[in-house]
Amino acid sequence: MIQLQKISKHYPVGFGKNEILKDIDLTIEEGEFVSIMGPSGSGKSTLLHILGLLEEPSAGAYLFQGERVDKMNEKKRTQLHRGAIGFVFQAYHLIDELTVYENIETPLLYKSLSGSERKSKVADVLDRFNMVAKKDLFPNQLSGGQQQLVGIARAIVAEPRVILADEPTGNLHSDQAKSIMELFKQLNEQDKITIVQVTHSDLNATYGNRIIQIRDGHIQG
Amino acid sequence: MWKNYFKIAVKNLLKRKLYAGINVFGLATAIACFVLLALYLENEWTYDRWYKNVSEIYRLRMDYGEKGEKPVQIALTPNILATAIKDLPEIQKVVRVYHRDVSIQYDNKSWNEKRFIYADPSFFQLFSFSLKAGNAATVLNGPDMVVISASMAKKYFGDTDPIGKTLLINGKRSYQVTGVAVDPPSNTHLRFDFVASYSTLQFPERWGSANYYTYVQVQQPSQLASLQASLTALARQQLSDEERSSGANLNFVPERMADIHLHSVAADLTEQKGDIRYNYIFGLIGGMLLIIACVNFMNLATARSTERSREVGVRKALGAQREQLFWQFMMESALLTGIALGIGLVLARLLLPAFNQLADVQLQMSGAGGYRIYAILVVVFFLVSFVTGIYPALFLSGFKPVQVLKGSQTATPRGRGIRQSLVVFQFAASIFFIICTLIVQRQMQYIQHKKLGLDRSEIVALNGFKGDVQALESFKGRLLQLSGVTNVTAAAESPVDIQGGYSIDHIQDRPESYTLNINALPIEKDYLKTVGIGLLSGEDLTRADIADILSEQSEERKYHFFLNETAVRKLGWTPASAVGKRMMLNGRTGTVKGVMKDFHFASMKSKIEPIVLFPEYDWFQQIYVKTGGSDKQRVIAAIGALWKEVQPAIPFDYHFLDDDFNRMYKSEYRVGAVLGVFATLVMVVSCLGLLGLAALTTQQRTREIGIRKVLGASVTNVVAMLSKDFVRLVLIALLISIPAAWYIGHQWLEAFAYHAALSMGLFLIAGVLAIGVALLTVSLQSVKAATMNPVKSLKSE
Repeated sequence: MIQLQKISKHYPVGFGKNEILKDIDLTIEEGEFVSIMGPSGSGKSTLLHILGLLEEPSAGAYLFQGERVDKMNEKKRTQLHRGAIGFVFQAYHLIDELTVYENIETPLLYKSLSGSERKSKVADVLDRFNMVAKKDLFPNQLSGGQQQLVGIARAIVAEPRVILADEPTGNLHSDQAKSIMELFKQLNEQDKITIVQVTHSDLNATYGNRIIQIRDGHIQG
Repeated sequence: MWKNYFKIAVKNLLKRKLYAGINVFGLATAIACFVLLALYLENEWTYDRWYKNVSEIYRLRMDYGEKGEKPVQIALTPNILATAIKDLPEIQKVVRVYHRDVSIQYDNKSWNEKRFIYADPSFFQLFSFSLKAGNAATVLNGPDMVVISASMAKKYFGDTDPIGKTLLINGKRSYQVTGVAVDPPSNTHLRFDFVASYSTLQFPERWGSANYYTYVQVQQPSQLASLQASLTALARQQLSDEERSSGANLNFVPERMADIHLHSVAADLTEQKGDIRYNYIFGLIGGMLLIIACVNFMNLATARSTERSREVGVRKALGAQREQLFWQFMMESALLTGIALGIGLVLARLLLPAFNQLADVQLQMSGAGGYRIYAILVVVFFLVSFVTGIYPALFLSGFKPVQVLKGSQTATPRGRGIRQSLVVFQFAASIFFIICTLIVQRQMQYIQHKKLGLDRSEIVALNGFKGDVQALESFKGRLLQLSGVTNVTAAAESPVDIQGGYSIDHIQDRPESYTLNINALPIEKDYLKTVGIGLLSGEDLTRADIADILSEQSEERKYHFFLNETAVRKLGWTPASAVGKRMMLNGRTGTVKGVMKDFHFASMKSKIEPIVLFPEYDWFQQIYVKTGGSDKQRVIAAIGALWKEVQPAIPFDYHFLDDDFNRMYKSEYRVGAVLGVFATLVMVVSCLGLLGLAALTTQQRTREIGIRKVLGASVTNVVAMLSKDFVRLVLIALLISIPAAWYIGHQWLEAFAYHAALSMGLFLIAGVLAIGVALLTVSLQSVKAATMNPVKSLKSE
């Protein structure tokens, strides 16, 4: 489903350049649950951003569902975001001005679904995550775990093929982290959603079925 | 989707009340001012232009003067001119208009009326005033006929039909009401309450006196050149051979009706003339305020970019395209503009009466002008929404999500250079208008305090005295017996604004053909003493002098003249040598009795010109009473009681000479007042923007302030640090605005022959004011941030 071929990423620093990723080759099959691990600054977040089309690689080829996407224009890339990729962030990144309901509804707005379709899809997700009672609350009225739950709900409401999660439990304590990770596992197994997460935690990594170690821009082993 | 944009916009506004408040309040103020100034300008631009056939209507101007001199240009013409030109092939219609203040009696009550004109029969055919009653072709076609305005009909006759009723004019003749006209609108210089038939006057037709306005309707505007040629030839025929050989000028020039208000060069006594320059200034202010409010909007929106960048990043990661975000931000602008527009309209409606008083106009939000304003406002709405929305929308929607979403790092605020330039622009505009206001006020002060060469204080002018010399003398004697009255005199015109144009000839030691155009005023015996005009040589009038001019036969009279210094100098005399010289003033022979110190008898816009005062008891229209002591009201009440006894038929109507004086500068006072108010508003709206920016800068630097305080910075250090940037911007604005204001102010002052100097102090005041206000505004925020507990501000990061 995802194929990276000789992907490199570097930023200019002064007269030289700062190499973040070097010649990454990576294939992720449909239905996998992959954990990317590595020390701070190893390039794992950059790798995730490239996978999510938020950043462009400096060199190499990226095939998503067999299609070359690294050279795609912004419009096509946005189409992919909408249909196929969902994001979950460490800092949740909910929109403060919007209620839980409206936050979850936002990706559907950009998919131009009709009002009634949006309503039923959001209602399904709220129901599934047991958050119907909280739908009119604002993010700052929720605990961190609940906020991340909304973040995940928002990521799956548009029914993506893959969820990219950047340290989804990094700001949570262990009980909350556990339930979030179980949710991911459930999504992976029941809904057949491909999941790629970046994590520091060995425990979290065990929820997945593959671990990729990254160090100094290289994949280890 | 649009519903959603709207919902998000509402939420965003509610979330940031200070931000939204500043924007809405600033924009609403600007829109209210814009509406008021637009109404004002609309009134000015349509002034006299609404008449049917206005392109065919002209008013004739008379130009006259000596060889080589700049001709005197007045709107008044001789009454015979109309008769002389009415058969010219270019002319369709001719109408003479003669103004006169009258007292009107009806049903045992009396009123003084100032908007009373006499006009030729075709007045209502030439000018498209509509009649509610009466036939336009016949309402003025005989003597003693009068057409009254609808509001006068109400005032005099209430609900009864005024047609056929009679009004007693000046206690002498009865005029029959033959028509009722719809009230003339405020945007014409022909704002009459009464139009009487010209034939009532029975004035002999002659070239000798010019007291009549002559309006013509031409067959074809394209024939103007041939009409002008005929008029020039006609004027030339009126000059004597001597005058022609000495190179004297006389000409009649048609001025377009539509141009009279703003562009006429002729002196005009009818209505306050407009001034195209003030219209430009008011237009500039209206536009400037809108721009400044828009700038606030853009500045605050982009300064908040840090705050909103995260939202943009998240939305983009969720699949939003740039145009969708663009429209979301545009929607916010449109919503804010819409709210501001609503509030601004309400504000304008509430402030309209105050503005009417300030600018001395009668504007209405409804009516033809008002509706056009609403159309303009629709355009303003789209324009402002677009202008305020486009930059933030492009700027904010352009954020790259990855920059924002990478960890906790936020995008650094951009567009700082543009923001700073816009602040400089705003302050340069505010300072410019403030300096202009100060210059106008300084000049008005200068005029108020300049020594006029006469003492106009505490002089009460009584209007409309009717009676012969004996009646005057006895009234004068009784006035002088009142306590608080120190002097009494009479004259035809107010001494601060003398307009009578005469000429002197047959001057001793001068060739026969020499004439000097001169201002002149017939006076009563105690005139010089009462208004405090000083003599350089000669003596004041005595009873014997007055006896010389009381003869009924004008050939037997021996006149006594008082020339001013300027006139004496022009005639090549000295004050001492002038006394006793013979001369002739429009047929009056006499000798120079004395030389007066120069005094200002006209606006400070013109240099002091030659003038002659002479006793002549046939023309007195005003009695001047010099009062002393403190209880002015009581003295006036006593004078009023005496007036009722002596002149029972005429209403007691008085004013102060100070009023006459101030009336000459009415348009300057008006522009000063309007400029003052709007310059303040420009400053306030600019400061609102600064307040918002300061709040955001402070908020963004909270962490930095915390760290600095932990490292030992004092409150003063922090406030100084935060204020320094803003003060620097105001200083740059000052440097830009001072030369511009100096140039404009200089131009304006040049129109006055006597004017205040442009001092450095003036610019200093403006500078200190601007920096002071800016510092105060910024400190509202910076002090709060500086006194915050650093532990708290560091934790919040």
